Amino acid sequence: MAYLVQPDYVKYTCTCGQQKPITNLYFCRHCLKIRCSFCISHEVDSHYCANCLENMPSSEARLKKNRCGSCFDCPSCFHTLSTRATVAQPRQDPAAGDAKVENKQSKKMYYLLCFNCRWTSRDVGIPDQPVATGGWPERVNPFNSRVNQLLDFYKAVVQQEKQEKLDKERKKYAIRGKYITLTDKTGLTMAMARNIAGLPSSEGAPSSAIANFVPSQASAEWQPADVARLYPLARPLSVKRSQRCRLCDHNLTKPDYHVPEVKIISCETLKPGATCALLLKLSNPTAHEMQITLVDPAEVPEHQEREEGRTIEKSLEKSLCLEKDMSWLEAVSRKVDVTSPLSVTRPDVTLTLAQRDDAAEYDDDAHTHSDDVILWRKSNKLALRLQVQVAEGAVEGPGARLPLALRYSYRNTVPPASAAPLVRDHVLYVAVLLDLGQVYAE
Amino acid sequence: MELQDIYYNKFEYVETASGNKVSRQTVLCGSQNIVLHGKVIVQSDAIIRGDLASVKTGRFCIISKGSVIRPPFKKFSKGVAFFPLQMGDHVYIGENTVVNAAVVGSYVYIGKNVVIGRRCVLKDCCIIEDNSVLAAETVVPSFARYSGSPARLVTTLPEAMPDLMTEFTKSYYQHFLPTAAVK
Repeated sequence: MAYLVQPDYVKYTCTCGQQKPITNLYFCRHCLKIRCSFCISHEVDSHYCANCLENMPSSEARLKKNRCGSCFDCPSCFHTLSTRATVAQPRQDPAAGDAKVENKQSKKMYYLLCFNCRWTSRDVGIPDQPVATGGWPERVNPFNSRVNQLLDFYKAVVQQEKQEKLDKERKKYAIRGKYITLTDKTGLTMAMARNIAGLPSSEGAPSSAIANFVPSQASAEWQPADVARLYPLARPLSVKRSQRCRLCDHNLTKPDYHVPEVKIISCETLKPGATCALLLKLSNPTAHEMQITLVDPAEVPEHQEREEGRTIEKSLEKSLCLEKDMSWLEAVSRKVDVTSPLSVTRPDVTLTLAQRDDAAEYDDDAHTHSDDVILWRKSNKLALRLQVQVAEGAVEGPGARLPLALRYSYRNTVPPASAAPLVRDHVLYVAVLLDLGQVYAE
Repeated sequence: MELQDIYYNKFEYVETASGNKVSRQTVLCGSQNIVLHGKVIVQSDAIIRGDLASVKTGRFCIISKGSVIRPPFKKFSKGVAFFPLQMGDHVYIGENTVVNAAVVGSYVYIGKNVVIGRRCVLKDCCIIEDNSVLAAETVVPSFARYSGSPARLVTTLPEAMPDLMTEFTKSYYQHFLPTAAVK
């Protein structure tokens, strides 16, 4: 996403080893580590309806089965239904005479209409409502009481299992924070847990066997086989999420940046055995001056969080019941393949980048340098000219990737805990992988 | 990759004091009802129907070739009424797209060949993918990516969406250069 509409040419290596574009990464200011959506805990902040944008407390959302009380989706195309008003004439009684006719008042009645497929609530015989919002008849499943019984029973089972697990693990682990996590066993989405592991949201059902399978499955409680019995679906709620560091529990979603951004300006055609010029743009998004040096990717220190990583895998494995299905392992693979036919001559200079300054865009044009490394400089950005060597035996084809690592100075602005010594300036490393596109044979 | 320079014929475009660049090959109906808030690019063959109701755009909006901006109407028992169309800052509208929305928030990216139905509300920070059709009266929430016909939520967007859009529209404006300036 770092390029909005283009593929991600530059990927950063997260602390957990995953390759992600910079927009999908978080930076924990307390651990000074890069985090990605895989190695943080996702939490539910609040529930809201994406249509009416009404917030709903989580207890109420649970009671209403995570659905909005006033918005409905079309049962056949799933577009949101709109309310339409008609003027209903009260039925005239021929025996009542003229006095009644004068008294006649037109009354507004409302029905639901889909602007996409023109489905209306009249199609299925739902009577028009005298009020614009709400008041639509709620349908009760014929097996409601039985379902509730089963639900209560399994809730009790879950409770018991949780308690047993807690008792067993009390000595080993501290109890997690008080926040609801997305992958909470009783919580809302297994689909979300699958997404985090890089799998599709659902396992996929055998579709197309039955004519209107999808609309029928959408109202799972009734599963009507007949189109005439498709009733409007209450709109599912969306959630606002927040991201927390797994290690220190601090919130990670903050509107500021901490890692220098690398972008590709241009790259010459890659040919085996040749040297070509690569133009990179580095920018410093922080409010402090930054020193950047290009280093060998092998110099990036190993992160000491392996054990924690194992538990993530284990918990995912458990909560997803994926023991048999090993396809997730590929998605979660921690090995970064740095063998590449490309190598770069690293200039032996430390680049100083000024702090971010929003007023700088009104300054004059970029200062061009005659330097052979720095092409130009402009406020907190600079363009870097590098020479890339393509190995003699490089295979022709797309996806030539160049590993690169940056060492940069970082000023921590978080006030330290009272006991901790005040260390403000840090030297941090980040590894990036640049996708330079196709290698062409001569 | 960084955005490449896009050149336009210097004599085709009018540049106003606030930095708007409007092609002469556009149809701007009811220009007294059209407010472009500065640094807006309106490319050739775009149509803005200010004669129906007022159209307001924020700063750094890009209205691409062949797109149509048209205020939405609503039917009442006594005829129809047109409603003003408001657009926030840093909005990109792709080529041959028809926008009938009531409100388009800030940091919105609308792809090419898209139809935004009547009285849609696009909140801040959303993306409508190319070739989608947004049915009438759809509400697109923030940080959502919509696609298909009828367009439905496909995925969510990263938190950095405002910065991405700001950078995109600003660099588009910087790289949108007259041919005369090249020499």
